[in-house]
Parts: sequence; structure tokens; C-alpha cells
Amino acid sequence: MLKTDNQIPKSRLYASYAVISLIIMVLIVRFFQIQILKYETFSKKSDINRIRAISLSAPRGLILDRNGTILVDNYPTFILNAIPGEILNKNESFMRISECTGLDVSLLLDNYQKYYRTRFVPVRLAKDLTLSQISVLEEHRLDLTGIHYDQFPERVFPSKIRGSHFLGYVKEVNRDIYEKLDNNQLYEFGDLIGWQGVEKIYENELKGQKGVKYLEVNAFGQVMGNVAERMGERPIPGNNIHLTIDSGLQGLLEQSMQGKRGVVIVSDANNGDILAYISAPDYPPDLFTGITHDEDWNDILTNPDRPLMDRNSGGLYPPGSILKMITLLALAEKGNLNTNFSIICTGEYAFGDRVFRCWNEYGHGNVDLRRALSESCNIYFYKIVQALKIDEWAEVAKELGFGEKVGIDLPTEQKGNVPTKEYMNKRYGRYGWSKGAMLNLALGQGDVVVTPIQIAQYVNILATRGITQKLHFGTNHIQNINVTPHFKASSWELIDRLMKGVIYDAGGTGKSADPKIEGLVLAGKTGTAQNPHGEDHAWFVGYGKKGEQVISATVLIENGGHGGQFAAPIARVAFNYVFQPSQIVENQ
Amino acid sequence: MILAVTKRFREISSSVLVLPIILTFLGLLTLKSIAQHQDGMTSFEKQFTYLIPAILGLFTVLFIPKNAIHKYSYIAYGAILIGITIPYFGESTAGTYRWIDLGVLSIQPSEYAKWITILVLARYLSDHKLEVRNFTVVIIPIILVLIPTAIILKQPDLGTAAVLLTPVFPMLYWVGARPYHLFLLIAPILSIVTAFHMASFVIWVIIVATVLYLNSSTISRGITTFFTNIFLGLFAPLIWNSLHAYQQKRILTLFNPELDPLGAAYQIIQSQTAIGSGGLLGKGWGLGTQTHLKFLPVQESDFILSVIGEELGFIAVLFILILFAAFISRIVFKAFECTDRFSGLALVGIASVFLAHVFVNTAMTIGLIPVKGLPLPFVSYGGSFLLSCYMMLGIVLNLSIKSPT
Repeated sequence: MLKTDNQIPKSRLYASYAVISLIIMVLIVRFFQIQILKYETFSKKSDINRIRAISLSAPRGLILDRNGTILVDNYPTFILNAIPGEILNKNESFMRISECTGLDVSLLLDNYQKYYRTRFVPVRLAKDLTLSQISVLEEHRLDLTGIHYDQFPERVFPSKIRGSHFLGYVKEVNRDIYEKLDNNQLYEFGDLIGWQGVEKIYENELKGQKGVKYLEVNAFGQVMGNVAERMGERPIPGNNIHLTIDSGLQGLLEQSMQGKRGVVIVSDANNGDILAYISAPDYPPDLFTGITHDEDWNDILTNPDRPLMDRNSGGLYPPGSILKMITLLALAEKGNLNTNFSIICTGEYAFGDRVFRCWNEYGHGNVDLRRALSESCNIYFYKIVQALKIDEWAEVAKELGFGEKVGIDLPTEQKGNVPTKEYMNKRYGRYGWSKGAMLNLALGQGDVVVTPIQIAQYVNILATRGITQKLHFGTNHIQNINVTPHFKASSWELIDRLMKGVIYDAGGTGKSADPKIEGLVLAGKTGTAQNPHGEDHAWFVGYGKKGEQVISATVLIENGGHGGQFAAPIARVAFNYVFQPSQIVENQ
Repeated sequence: MILAVTKRFREISSSVLVLPIILTFLGLLTLKSIAQHQDGMTSFEKQFTYLIPAILGLFTVLFIPKNAIHKYSYIAYGAILIGITIPYFGESTAGTYRWIDLGVLSIQPSEYAKWITILVLARYLSDHKLEVRNFTVVIIPIILVLIPTAIILKQPDLGTAAVLLTPVFPMLYWVGARPYHLFLLIAPILSIVTAFHMASFVIWVIIVATVLYLNSSTISRGITTFFTNIFLGLFAPLIWNSLHAYQQKRILTLFNPELDPLGAAYQIIQSQTAIGSGGLLGKGWGLGTQTHLKFLPVQESDFILSVIGEELGFIAVLFILILFAAFISRIVFKAFECTDRFSGLALVGIASVFLAHVFVNTAMTIGLIPVKGLPLPFVSYGGSFLLSCYMMLGIVLNLSIKSPT
């Protein structure tokens, strides 16, 4: 049956050749594209493909106090990472991890979402794993392709102090944070980044440099060994930061402030070193590391005393009588201060159609300049302040650093407010305020609001006659203050003398700040600031000089009542600690 | 006997025989490279062993008289239809019904269905003094092909089914079917596919209109065909939109695997990476990192060309593709030289099966078409496939021997 002939026109043969050639040519062209034209791209891709880069986290630098005591340290914890591209079945793996460790699957899934970046970058699933959890996981290693655990340095706080408001805290970089970072090429998801306090301000020094280790892996994620031609990089730990804080003093004052709301700042007036920095109530410094229980969180977030807020740099307060020195300086500079002027204080003062009162409702009787400050007579200041224009007062206030950030090395500083004529006109209208506003300002009430850190700088300026340095935590962060107060020597002297009276005069309101140490000379001022939130705020500011050493203290007890009674004793604790002869030896 | 063998060997086309032997050697060389990281019996050693049945198969087919091949082709066709149905009665292997488990070895009957179907087609088309210029005549050959194709498609084995379907068009063309009629057969499919891309569809519609205008016997028939195609094209998107999202995605991934980076796309991406990183001269035999770190999937069978591309570079790929082009062209030339129509048709059919294999396999490794799971003739690892290739080669050699007139 093979009789049918096969007479085929040549054209069909050539057509067939054409089709074969065309098809093969298409393939050749495509291979040429991939192998010759795109060689570079694929070559790079193939390198990445077989190499897994393991990033090695660099331990953050330590934070130490002025005496070398470690305030913030690192300790190694285990974290669980997943490499998305290597996980065979996410849900199954997570179930298995959950069985092994007792961690919630939903937590793993949450973290997976939060830290996922690309298929080949490890995703942080969980942290703070115990050795026993790790060993159970190790037994199931074969079922957990793409799951790895690594050591991870976590922050730990070995000292007795809390100091949470200046130490601040770190956060783990997640998607939201990452997208907002300017220099995010330096970070990976899950890395720690300073988020508050010194941790934030000194992030660049503390951070260190991540290392990397290259491993050759196969498509199943099994490590085949090191990559011969690519050396890894060792992580470089961050630099240590030495703070000016004296942890002994800090701890002592934290205890003194326990159960209170308020602040204490103790600093070296000569160089701006902050020795103690308390904002009460505070929170445990390890609140943001490890796993914080929801209840603890809620306690802190719903606490009406707002423990998370740093009152020192972020709290705005009416300063009260501690600002009376501004009025005196302004008058002295203007030449309008008669040091022999005296009045009879009856406890009341009528101005226009209003009656202003002294804090001493029975009146101080005969009051001269010295007594006016040491016993904080309001009536005296009502009278003398009338010689001042608001802008004259404001100018001196600004020269002493108010209305402007001090520029300490913390991230959350407020500016406060110094009212000027312009400000008052804008706020109340040209005829909406009167000379009576000056009576308020004389007492540090009304539209003037300050941060405690501004007050601390103000005290340092008064203590050193303007040649202090900017308040700071980092020992290397020494800068000139932002203002240049120029007053006559006689004016400085007058203020110093009058402030000593507050401590040493018989009726002095600041008596209880004196630890009575030989050779120590104190000067101070109390304040009792009215505020719309209830009981008056108790203030005490002062400085002590002994030899070359000049230490200032600023204390505020919110709704504490009389400054002399409640704030000054806390300053005494500080002065006592710093100026104790034994303590001085220890400090040096 | 020995005389018969030597006589036979003197008659066969040495050029057709030598090219596959070179390809087989290249395949073994590549398998040897892969074997470096294999434990136990390597795929290289196994493939070497498979050469024995393959060569036996070649000889068996070579010595079957041409008459017998012609005579028993319908019986063989019936047998292979049963053969490809048998796996459905057994257990599935990885969710497919392709293999017949015979204990010591497994057979994949669909491999042999490829060329048996060609033989039966050749017989049908040569037995009848067909007026192939008439459109209706192509119906029966199409049915003959569609039966095994449908069974294999159900296994499921899209790749083999596609290869099985391919030869019918060149064979019809070879016996004189008007290209216009073949065009009419393929047109609806292209109408549906192009409908999803506006510009392509417009160009396609213009081509259809031109071809119909130039070829259609009557205007009414031309217009009917034209609008049938247009409507198919217009309805396709509507039907598409009625599909569930996951169904759409499954189909889309078929055409664009990059949509599914963890599945088929992973294979293609890895394969492209391997090939691309090979460059002009390759990374060197046994030095392909993608290959040896097992990034490359099914590297000894479906993706063996990726290994070659990575280790031996563009030069080697070019060499292999030219070998295939020469081999296939050579078969077509033999088909042209045949004195009887049956042999000519069978050779054309086998040439197109080889070409389909080469195209689908190669295009898949470089991401031109979706992953189909088709091996590269003579080069890829696999006993059943190697045997089948050598048997096809045997048929080619056998049928291309000039009968003494």
C-alpha cells in the first residue's frame, strides 16, 4: 500500500526550511539577548541568588554617668527571623513555631506583616526567646526551612537610677519608621533606633556599624558554607556616651521625688553639666524593651500625671516669684532701683479698680528691698514694677534665656513665652490690657510661661554672672549659651546679695534649702505659683558656692504649695550630696 | 544476517544519525556535571544505562520492514489509545496519570503516542487519493489527532498534548492542503487570544480580512468567517470577566509566570538567571553556581539547556540550536526525497515533533513561553523519552532508505 507517490513541489521544501530557520532564529536571538546583552544584570542576579547576606547587628554604645557607672548596657537575647523567600508554608511554619515556643501565631503574623520588606531580607518574628525555646526549635529545624534565630543585643539598665526622661529609649525600625527616616539606608527592619532622650540625640554615635556575613546557600535555604570570594564585615559597636549625670545624686533625688509630681535639675553652673535631672512621675526605663504587658502600658498611658512626659524640657509652667530677679535687674539696669526704698505691706494693694494681694494676707509690715525678696513680698514688687515698661521687662527676661529653647541635648524642648507689648496687643487687643499686666509679670504670673530647664539656665546665669555654659548631658556637648546677658557688675552683685538673704535672713523663705555645710554659701529664691490646676506650684531655685564649685538646683513640686516649705528641702538634699566634703573627694 | 545489517547501515543516512549522537553526547556531558553533587546512582549513570534500550529500540525500528510499519499503524494506534488510558486505572503520580508502573520500570505511553499518531496520520493521508484542497477532507485527520490529544490533556500533560497536536498541520500542508484552510483552523484561537490586546486585535483583524479577501471562494462565506472571528474575539473578554479572580490568575500565570514569583515564575526566573549569567563562554563545565546550588529546578530534564547555558555559555547553546536546525532540516529533506507519500508524511510529522520539542523546551527556559515540562530531545535525562527519541530516529532512518524501484 505504499504506492501513493510523493511528488512534492520544491516550494514546500523551501517553505519548511524557512519555518525551521525562523523558529530557531527566534530562539537564538532570545538567547543572545539574555546571555550577551543582559549578561551583566543576570550575572549580578546570580551572585545575589546564591549568597545570603546575614547582617550582624552592632551593639549600641553604652551610656555611662560622670563617674563611669554604666547606666545603659546591652545583653544578648535571641530573636527569631524568617526569610520569606525560603519559607515553604508560612502558616504551617508559624504553627510549628507556636507549638515549640508557646508564642502566639497571631503575634508571629503581626510581626511578619510589620517587618516584611522583601523576599530575601529576614523578617523579625519574635524576640527575647529563651534558651529552652531555642533548643526546642533546634530539634524541629528540618521542618522549619527559612526560620533562623540570631543573637540580638537588647538594651538593659543595670544601675539603680531610672533616669528614663533623659536616657530615653530605642525602638525597632518597622515599616512606618523606616519610611519616615531620612537616612534609612543605614537601617533594616528590626534594627534599634534611638527614639527619645539621649538615645535619640546621640543616635549617630551610639548606633555603631552593622556587620555582614555572606553565606552560600542553595535554593532550599540550606547553608553550603562561607562565600570564598566575599569577606564579611565585622560589626563595629557604637561609641560609648559619657553623661554629666551623677547617678548617686540622681538616684537620691528620684527617691525624694517619689510620689510627687514635679522636677529637679541639679547642674554645675560653671560648665552646664547636668548632674541630676528628675521629672516625676517617671516610668521604668526598660518599659520600651522586651515585651511590655498591656496592663503596664495602660497604666502608664492612662495615668493622669503623664509619666511619659519630660516635664523639665517639655512642661510649661507659671514661674511665680522666682522670676522677681528679672524685675530687679531690669530696674537696676534702667537706674530706677532705689535700694533704700521701703513700703508698709498691709497684705493688700489697690491698683485701678482691682485689689492685688500679698501671699502673706496679714501683711509684711515695713518692707525694704532686701526683705522684699527674702520674704517675697508681692506688694513691694507691685509698686516698684510700675516704673518698668513691659518691653523693658521682656528684654531682660529674654537676655536671661526665656522665650527661647535652651538647646539641651534632648529632643523635646519647649520655648515657653515672654510677653511683649506686641504679644499683648495681639493677644488682648490694643486696649484689652493695661499696666496691671506688669503687676502680674513682676510676680512671674500671667502670660509668662517657662520650662524648668529654662529656669535652671537662668539660675546658672545669675550664679556665674552670665559666663555659664549651655546645659547638657553629653560630656563633650559643651557650647556657649544662646544668650549673652550683659549687666552692670553692681546689678549682678545686688541680685547675689539679695538672693543670699532668701537663705540666711531671719524671715528668709529659702532657709530649709541650707544643708549647713562649712564653707558653703547659698543663694536662692522660692516661688509659689498660682495656676489653674489647683494648689499652687512650689518652686525653689538656688545656687551654692564653695571654693570654685558653683552648683545650682531647680526644684518644682506641682501643686505642692509654698516653695519654701516643700521645694527648698529637696534642694537641700542635692546641696548636701554635692557639697559633703567626702563627696567632693569622691567626685574628683 | 551480518550482511543484512551492514547493508542496512550502508543505506541509512549517516548525517541524520550523527547529529543526534552528538546531541546525546552533549547531554551526557552535562549530566556528568550535574552528577557532581548527586549521591548514589547519578542521573549521568542512569542515562548511560538508558542508552542500551534506546539503541535497541533504534535497531528494532530500523529493521522493521517499511511495509509492516505501514500495515500495522492502525493497530498500533488502537493499542496506544489503550496505552494512554491505562494510567487512569492506576494510582496517580504527583497528581498526574502519565505512567504505567511495571514494577521494575515505569513506562510513559504518551511518549510513543506522539509518533504512532504520526504514522496513522501518514497512512490515512497517503492511502486515500485525497482531494486535500477541499476543506472538509482535513476533518478526519484532525479527529485522529484530537482523540489522543484529549486523553493526554486530561492526564494532565499540556506539553505533550501540544506536541501531539502540532504535526497535523505540517503534514496536511505537505500533502497539499491549502495554507488558507490551515489558516481557517488556527484563526479562531488567535482571535480569542489577540482580543485581550487592542492593538494586536486590530492588526489581527486586518490580517484576517486580507487573507479572506484574497482566498475566500465566495463573498458570503468570507464575510461569515470574518464575523465569526470578530465575535469570538469580542466575546472572549466577556467570558474572561465572568471568571473568578483565582481562575483568571491561574490562566494569567500560565502566560506570564512572573505573576507568581514563588511558583512557575521561580523556575523561569532561576532558569533565566542561570542562562544569562553564563554569558558568551559560560562559567565553565561543572562550575555553574545556579546549577550546583540547586537553584535551578528539574535541571537534568526540562531545564538541562539552562545548565548548558550557564556552564558552557551562548556558544554552546548556539551550537546545539544549529545542530537541531540541521537535524530537522535534514529530516525534511529526506521527506522530500522519499518516493512514497507515506514515508514522506511520516518524516515530516516526526520532524515537526522534534521541532515542537526543541521550541517549547528552549523557549520555556528563556521565558518566551510558560513552563510546559517538555524535555529536549536526545539531550534531556529520562529513559522513556530517550527511547522514544531513538525510536523516532529509527523510523526516520528506516523510512528514508530509498526503496529499490
